[in-house]
Amino acid sequence: MSAVGDAVLYEAVGVSKSYGSVEALLDVDFKLHSGEVVGLVGDNGAGKSTLVKVLSGVHPPDSGKLVLEGVERHWASPHEALAAEIETLYQDAGLAPHLSIGANVFLGREILRPGILGRLGFMAQRQMDRAALHELAQVGIEIQGSRKTVAELSGGQRQAVAIGRAVAWARKVLLLDEPTNHLGARQALEVLEVIRKARDRGLGVVFISHTLPHVLQVCDRIVVLRLGRVVRDAPTSEFDAESLLGTITGLLEAS
Amino acid sequence: MVTSTGAVAPAGRRPGGAVRSMVRGLVGNQQFMLLIALAALVAYFTARAPVFLSNGELANILTDFCSLILLGIGETYVIASGGIDLSVGSATSLSGVVGAFAMRSLLGSHQGEALVLFVGTLVCVSIGLAIGLTNAALINWARLVPFVATLAMLGGAAGLAIVISNGEPIGLDPRAISLTTAKLGPFSYPSLVVIAIVAACWLSLHLTRYGRYTFAIGSNEFAARAAGIDVRRHVTSVYALSGALAGLAGMFVYMRLGSGAPTAGLNDELQAIAAVVIGGASLYGGVARMSGTVLGTLIITTVTSGLIISNVQANWDQVAVALLIAAAAAMQALRPARRA
Ligand SMILES: Nc1ncnc2c1ncn2[C@@H]1O[C@H](COP(=O)(O)OP(=O)(O)OP(=O)(O)O)[C@@H](O)[C@H]1O
Ligand SMILES: [Mg+2]
Repeated sequence: MSAVGDAVLYEAVGVSKSYGSVEALLDVDFKLHSGEVVGLVGDNGAGKSTLVKVLSGVHPPDSGKLVLEGVERHWASPHEALAAEIETLYQDAGLAPHLSIGANVFLGREILRPGILGRLGFMAQRQMDRAALHELAQVGIEIQGSRKTVAELSGGQRQAVAIGRAVAWARKVLLLDEPTNHLGARQALEVLEVIRKARDRGLGVVFISHTLPHVLQVCDRIVVLRLGRVVRDAPTSEFDAESLLGTITGLLEAS
Repeated sequence: MVTSTGAVAPAGRRPGGAVRSMVRGLVGNQQFMLLIALAALVAYFTARAPVFLSNGELANILTDFCSLILLGIGETYVIASGGIDLSVGSATSLSGVVGAFAMRSLLGSHQGEALVLFVGTLVCVSIGLAIGLTNAALINWARLVPFVATLAMLGGAAGLAIVISNGEPIGLDPRAISLTTAKLGPFSYPSLVVIAIVAACWLSLHLTRYGRYTFAIGSNEFAARAAGIDVRRHVTSVYALSGALAGLAGMFVYMRLGSGAPTAGLNDELQAIAAVVIGGASLYGGVARMSGTVLGTLIITTVTSGLIISNVQANWDQVAVALLIAAAAAMQALRPARRA
């Protein structure tokens, strides 16, 4: 495994978050270092996506704090977290189906035309289309024609575009909520390779998946959530497939 | 694909295949079909009543078009963003009435025509803008769905227009009527303004970042927010634009009637929404075309004027518009799916 920086890159300290009466996160501590892949695992409803949405600025935590590079941060919107170089692939609904692939990859980061037209908000659409294909190819995703709308893609192709978008823009923190969903076996392995490359670029990566072999394969450290609480946080070397499954379900402690 | 009739021939394989695929391409092109429909309607009404193509009648259609297209443009943005604005007709009425009060006092103190037009336009647009901002506040902060928020505004603004005008047209005097002929060169003042606004809004909706965000929000609001777009601010601006354009429509109606009538915009929101839907927009958001809205508006004004000219009983035009909406919706269902 690659070197892990000692300074914590991004951290959640004592974070809790409820939806009405549902306590989705309870006093959760979570650390991420530069050049590290942390696996976040847990059963359905354990609170993984909720933690991602707190980290990415979608939901403010009810209590606890977020610390990026030693500075406490309060995200008023995902926009602020994005500006602080926290890039996120959401579990579902991360793309706009009616927009083209190019438009989706550049959504919120449109390239404007030079000169007066650009100041009026006119976009350099062809440049974005070309760059989008290039960016997607960089992360190993080949799609013909970036002017297609996302609705015209297969589920796996959509997922690929969403991953490509997140990886292409990531500079510091990369949160990936079930990136291998909808993907075929080969494409899923390619995504693992993309994650390794992102780590080698020095990014801190959070990887969520229900496919435990993938988690064991690519992660440096694994955090297990159960019913909104962190029940285990340890280097990957301390787990094998069986003990990881046991920790997730809670059967390991019970026996 | 099951091709029992053999009608779906691969393009270019057989002689005539290229022609056939071109025909199929045009039939699948909604804009083209709208043009055909428009031409057919014009031909039909001309056959029934030849005066339909006279200058006077075309001028009438153009005047109707000028106020309805303003509502349609605003509605295009709103519908593209996944919302709906039911208040534009009432906004037209209320701003026309308030603007008429302002213009009546200016005319009373014998101000120049240009000043009267300018101040009247400013007052009307401001009232419309205020209505749009109120809609946005109800949607963004009171968390009402757009249908409910703008329905409340439809009732509120229409009621207010009647209350402050006592139900009477405001400002009818000979000098106000002279405004109806205000011209810049050979063009009427409204038609010049409308040409400029249609061009600017067409460019803005389809080529600028502003338009892109509008579609993104209508397509997937969460994705838009997650991409860092300030959804509330954008939605506010969209309803503000719709309101302001409805206010301007109020001014145009005043110029047509020579007065501000509290019922001037009654039911106009339905015609505007119909125009946008006929133009190919999806009421689920994320899909709309400015050129489609222009054609849809032309079709509706042609139908309503044509029915009047051919002496059909007045209220049939509403039924006709309803049929047009149904036809447009059916066409949408027949087109290949572009939605997720
Ligand atoms: N928007 C919401 N409103 C209300 N409750 C929610 C919402 N989102 C999640 N929850 C609840 O919060 C809890 C945690 O959900 P979360 O989506 O974080 O789980 P998860 O670990 O990502 O599960 P999965 O593996 O199925 O994706 C669940 O009980 C869920 O029902
Ligand atoms: Mg989840």
